[in-house]
Amino acid sequence: MSVYNSVDGHLFLPVLKTYLPILVFAFLGLTVGGIFAMLNHLLGPKKPARETAASRRQGEPYESGIPVEPTKGLRFGVTFYLIAMLFILFDIEVIFLYPIGVILKDADSVFVLGEMITFVVLLLVAFVYVWRKGALDWR
Amino acid sequence: MSSAILWAPLAFGLLGLFLPQKAVGWWAVLGTAVTLGLAIVAAVGFDTGSSAMQYAVDEPWISGLGVDYSLGIDGLNLFLILLTAVLWVGGVAFAAFREQERAKSFFFLMLVAETATLGAFLAQDLLLFVLFFDLMLVPFYFLFGAWGHDRSGEGGITASAATLKMIVYTLIGSLLMLVAAIATAVLAADGGHLTFSLAALNEHGLGEGSQRWIFWFFAAAFLVKMPAFMLHGWMPDAYRAAPLPALIVFSGVLAKVGAYGFLRVVLPLFPDATVEFQEVILMIALASILYGSVMAFTQTNVRLIAGYSSVAQLGFITAGIFALQADGSDGAVLQMVNHGLVVAPLFVVVALLLERTGTEDISEMGGLALRAPVLAALFLIVVLATLAMPGSANFIGEFYILNGLFEAKIVFAFVAISGVAMSAYYALRLYQQTMHNRKPEGLLSREIGLRDGLILVPLVLCIVGLALYPQVVLERTAPSVAQTVAKVRQNEPPESRLASMSLEEKAEVESGALKIVP
Amino acid sequence: MNFNEPHLDYAGISPLIALTVGICVVLLSAVFKPTKRWAPGLTTIALAATAGLLIWQWDDPKTLITGALRLDDLAISISLISILTAGFCVVLSLRERATEEAGSGEYHSLLLGSVLGMVLLAQATNLVSFFVALETLSIPLYILCATNLRREGSLESGLKYLIVGSIGSATLLYGMAFLYGGTGATNFAGIADGIARNGLDGDPLILIGIAMAAVGLAFKTSIAPFHQWTPDVYQGAPTPITAFMAVATKAAAFAVFLRFFDVALGSQLDDWQPALAALAAISIVVGNVGALGQDSLKRMLGYSGVAQAGYMLGGVVVLSESGTSSLVFYLAAYAFMNLAAFAVIVGRERETIFGDDIRAVRGLGTERPLLAWPLTISMLALAGLPATAGFIGKLYLIEALVEGDYTWLAVFIAIGTMISLAYYLRVVAAMWMRPETEVASGARPVIAGASPEADPVDPDAGSRWYIVGPALLAAAVTVFFGIIPQPLVEFASHAGAALFG
Repeated sequence: MSVYNSVDGHLFLPVLKTYLPILVFAFLGLTVGGIFAMLNHLLGPKKPARETAASRRQGEPYESGIPVEPTKGLRFGVTFYLIAMLFILFDIEVIFLYPIGVILKDADSVFVLGEMITFVVLLLVAFVYVWRKGALDWR
Repeated sequence: MSSAILWAPLAFGLLGLFLPQKAVGWWAVLGTAVTLGLAIVAAVGFDTGSSAMQYAVDEPWISGLGVDYSLGIDGLNLFLILLTAVLWVGGVAFAAFREQERAKSFFFLMLVAETATLGAFLAQDLLLFVLFFDLMLVPFYFLFGAWGHDRSGEGGITASAATLKMIVYTLIGSLLMLVAAIATAVLAADGGHLTFSLAALNEHGLGEGSQRWIFWFFAAAFLVKMPAFMLHGWMPDAYRAAPLPALIVFSGVLAKVGAYGFLRVVLPLFPDATVEFQEVILMIALASILYGSVMAFTQTNVRLIAGYSSVAQLGFITAGIFALQADGSDGAVLQMVNHGLVVAPLFVVVALLLERTGTEDISEMGGLALRAPVLAALFLIVVLATLAMPGSANFIGEFYILNGLFEAKIVFAFVAISGVAMSAYYALRLYQQTMHNRKPEGLLSREIGLRDGLILVPLVLCIVGLALYPQVVLERTAPSVAQTVAKVRQNEPPESRLASMSLEEKAEVESGALKIVP
Repeated sequence: MNFNEPHLDYAGISPLIALTVGICVVLLSAVFKPTKRWAPGLTTIALAATAGLLIWQWDDPKTLITGALRLDDLAISISLISILTAGFCVVLSLRERATEEAGSGEYHSLLLGSVLGMVLLAQATNLVSFFVALETLSIPLYILCATNLRREGSLESGLKYLIVGSIGSATLLYGMAFLYGGTGATNFAGIADGIARNGLDGDPLILIGIAMAAVGLAFKTSIAPFHQWTPDVYQGAPTPITAFMAVATKAAAFAVFLRFFDVALGSQLDDWQPALAALAAISIVVGNVGALGQDSLKRMLGYSGVAQAGYMLGGVVVLSESGTSSLVFYLAAYAFMNLAAFAVIVGRERETIFGDDIRAVRGLGTERPLLAWPLTISMLALAGLPATAGFIGKLYLIEALVEGDYTWLAVFIAIGTMISLAYYLRVVAAMWMRPETEVASGARPVIAGASPEADPVDPDAGSRWYIVGPALLAAAVTVFFGIIPQPLVEFASHAGAALFG
C-alpha cells in the first residue's frame, strides 16, 4: 500500500536511483567548496594587530574592484532592468533554435524550415514591438 | 383552451407596454375580462362528472430534462381558475379606477402575476408547477416593494424590507420543493426515462423512505404560502405593506395555491407519507385555526384582521384536505373558492374605509353605516359569509370539512369547531367597530360610489350565487377529489375504506356501481 | 538520426493559429498606427474568426499534437463561452480608462493572449499542455488587472492576483509532479493507465498529487477556502476585465477540471469525490454569506461568483454525462447573467461618482430603465428565479446531483440560493423601490470604489450603445434561454457526450 515499505521497490527505489547523480553532484560540490573555504582561512595572511583602512580592505574578498556592500543610496537606472530583461528573454528564446539546428540537416524537410520561420517571425514581432516602443533607446 | 387562458393576461400585459399611460389601466381590465371570458367558456364546456383531465395540452418543453409543457383542467382546479380570473378583474379594475404611479409597470406586473398564478393552477407537469409557483412571487415582490406602504413607528418596516422577508420565507419552501420535485422524478424514473408529468408520476409510486423527506419539502413550501401557524412570520408585515389592488388578488388566490398543491401533488404522489404524517399536519392546521382566530380578534388593523382570519380559514381548508375523506376534500375545494370570494371584497371594503377614514385602525372608526347603508349592507353580506352563516356557501364548505374530519379524527373535529365560533366573534367585531357605534369627530361617512360598486356588487353577487347553489362547485369537483382521496387510501383494508365513504358513495357501492379494489 | 515529420492537423489547430496571428496583428497595429483605433475592431475579427473555426469543427472530435490536446465538443463549447465573454469585454472596454492608460493595442493583445490560454486549456489532455495553457491564461490577466495604471486599487489587484495566482500554479505544479512521479506519464490517459498498472490505487503519492492539483485548480476557479483573493481582485481590476475574469477563467478552469478528474483520475473517484463535494458545500456557504454585507457591487459579484463556483463544482463532483452537460449549461447561462450585470456596472461607474457602490444604481428604475431591466433580470437569474436561464441551470444541476446520489449537495444549493436572495434582491430593491435611508446626493462616499479617480468621466455613459447594447443583449438571452432552453440544453448535452458518450 504505502511507498515506504514497498519492498519490491517498483516505485520508490527507481525514483531514488534517478536522483543519485544529483546527490553525488551535490555532495562533491559541497565538499570541494567547503575545502577551499577552509584552506583560505588556514593559509591566508592573518589579521594585523592594528586595524587600518588598508588592512580592512585586505580582509575582504576580491570583487573586481567593486565594493562588496553597495551603499544604500546606490541606484540602477530602470532602463538597465528593461534592457537586461529583454536580453534574457530573447537570449533564452534563441536557445529553442538549438534543437532545430541539430536535426536540420538530417530532417531535410520544408516542415522544419516552416517551424523555424514561424518561431523567428514571432520573435521578430516581439522585437519590432520592443524597438518601436523605444525600449531599446538608452535614455 | 388551457394555453389561451394561461397566456392571455401576459399577452395583454406585453401589448400594454406600448400604450399610453392613461389607457393602460383599461387595457389591463380588458385583458383580465377576456381571460375571465375564456375561463367561463371552459367552465361551461366542462364535462361534469368526469375525473379526467380536460382541455389537456401536452408538448415536450425541455426534452433533455424530461420537462413537458403540460396543462389541463379538472375538478380540482376548474373553480380555482375561475376564482383567479374573477378576482383579477376586480383587483385590476379597482386599480384602474384610481391613479397609479408608473401605471405601465404596475399593470404589466399585475397581468404577469395572473399568468403565473393561472400557470400554477393549470400545470400538469410537476416542474412546470414548481416553476409557476416560484414565478408568482416575482411580480408580487415588485408590486409590494415598489408600490407598497412604508410603516413607521413601533414595529414599523419599510415596504422593501417587508417584501424581502416575504420572498425569503416563501422561497425557502419553494427551493426545497424544487429539489424535492427533481428527486421525485429521478427516483420514479429509476434510471429509465425521466419525466415530470404528474400523470406518469402518479403511476410510479415512490419508496416509503424517500416519500418521507420529499413530503416535508413540499409541505414546507405549501404551508409557508398559506401561511400556516409558525410559518406565517412574513404575513403581517407583507399585508401591511402591500398596495390594496395587489393584496386583493394576493390574499384571495395565492394562499390557495398552497392548499391546492397538497391536493394536486402531495396526496397523489406521496400517499404513504401523507397517511403517516396526517396527524402532524392536522395539528399544524388546528394550531393555525386557533392562533389565526385569536390574533384576528385581538388586532385592530383591518388588514391584519383579514390576514389572520385567512390563516384560520386556510387552517380549516388544510384540515379538510388532511381528513383524507372525500367529504373533507370536497369541502376544502369549495371553501378555497368561498374564502377567495370573501376575502377579496373584504379588502375592497378595507380600501374604501381607508379612503373615508384615513386610518386602518378599527378603534378609530365607527358609525359609517349611518350615511352609507348600501356599503354597510354589502359589507354585512361579506362578513356573514366570512363567519359561515348557515345559508352561505361557506357554511356548506365548513360543514363538509367538519363532516370529513369527524369521520376521520373526531378529536381534531371538536377542536376545529371552536374555530367556527371564534370566526363569528372576529367577523362581527370588525363589522360593529367600523359600521356601528358612534362616529368619531371629523370622520367622513360617504356612500359607496358607482365605480367601486361595480367591483364590490359582482363579487357579493358571486357569494350570494354560490350560497344559493353550492352544488355547482361540488358536483364538478367530487369525481376528481374522490380519485385523489382513493389514491391515498388505496393501501387501507376495504372495510375501513367503506366506513370512510360519503353516503352517496356507500349507496353506489351497495348498488354495485362503484367497486372497492383491494 | 531519424527524423519523422509529425502529423499536424492544421484544421484542428487553426483556432489557435487564428488567435496567435490576431495577437501579433493587434500588437503591431498599435505600434505602427498608434493614432488609429484599430485594436478593438481587429480583436473582434480575431475572436470571430476563432469562433468560426471552432464551430466549423463542431461534432468532429480529434486529438491534436501527439495527444497533448483534444478538440471535442466540450472544448469547443467552453472555448465559445470564453470567446463570447471576451467579445463582450472588448465592447465594454470602449472608452475605458484602462485602455487609454495601458495602450489599446497592448490591452487587447493581452486579452487575446488570455483567450488563447483558455482555448488551449479547454483542450488540454496532458499535464504539460495543461500547465502551459494555464499560465498563458493567467499571466496576461495579472497584467490586465493592473492596467488601470493610475488607480492604486487596480495595481493592488494585479499584484495580489499575481501572487495568489502564482501560489495556485505552484501548488498545481507540485501536485502534477507527484502524479508524474507516481505514474511516469504526463498524458491524462497515461496517468490513469499508470495508476492501474502500478497498482497505485489510493497510494499516498497519488492522493497528495490529487489534493494539490485540486487545490491549485480551486485557486483558479475561486472555490472556498481558496477564494480570498477574489473580491479584492474583482473590485480593483478594470470592470470589463473583471467581467471577463469572472466568467471566462471559470469556464476554462472548469473544463480542465472535468477532463483532468474524469480522464486521469476517474479511477480514484472514491477518494476525491467526497472532498470536492465538501469544497462545493463550503464554497456555497462562504460565498453566499460573504456577499451579504457587501456594498460594492463588484465585490458582491465576486463573492457570489464563489458561491456559483460551488454550485458548478457539483457538476464535476458527480462525474457523469448529465453532470458535465449541466455544468456547461450553467457556465453558458452564468456568462450571460454576469455580463448583463457587469455591463450595467461599467455604465454606472462612468456616469456617477459612486463607482461600483450600490448607491450607483439607486433609483435606476426611473432614471435609466434600459439599464435597470438588464440588471434586474441578471440579479433574478443569478438568484435562480423562474423564466430565466438561471432557473433552468439550477434545475439541470440539481437533476444531475440527484441522479448522482448527491441529493444533500442539491439541498445545499437550495439553501445557498435562499441566502443569496438577500443580497441579489437588495440590488433590485435599490433600483426600483424607495431607498432605506436618503443620502445627500453628491456627497463623496468613503468606501467601495470611491477613490478620487471614480469621478464620472462620461455623464451619458448609461445611454451609450456600447453599454446599453451588451446589457440588453445579455439580459434578453438570459430570458430567452429561460423560456426556450432547448437549444442551449442540446448544446450542453453535446459537451457532456464528448466526455462520456
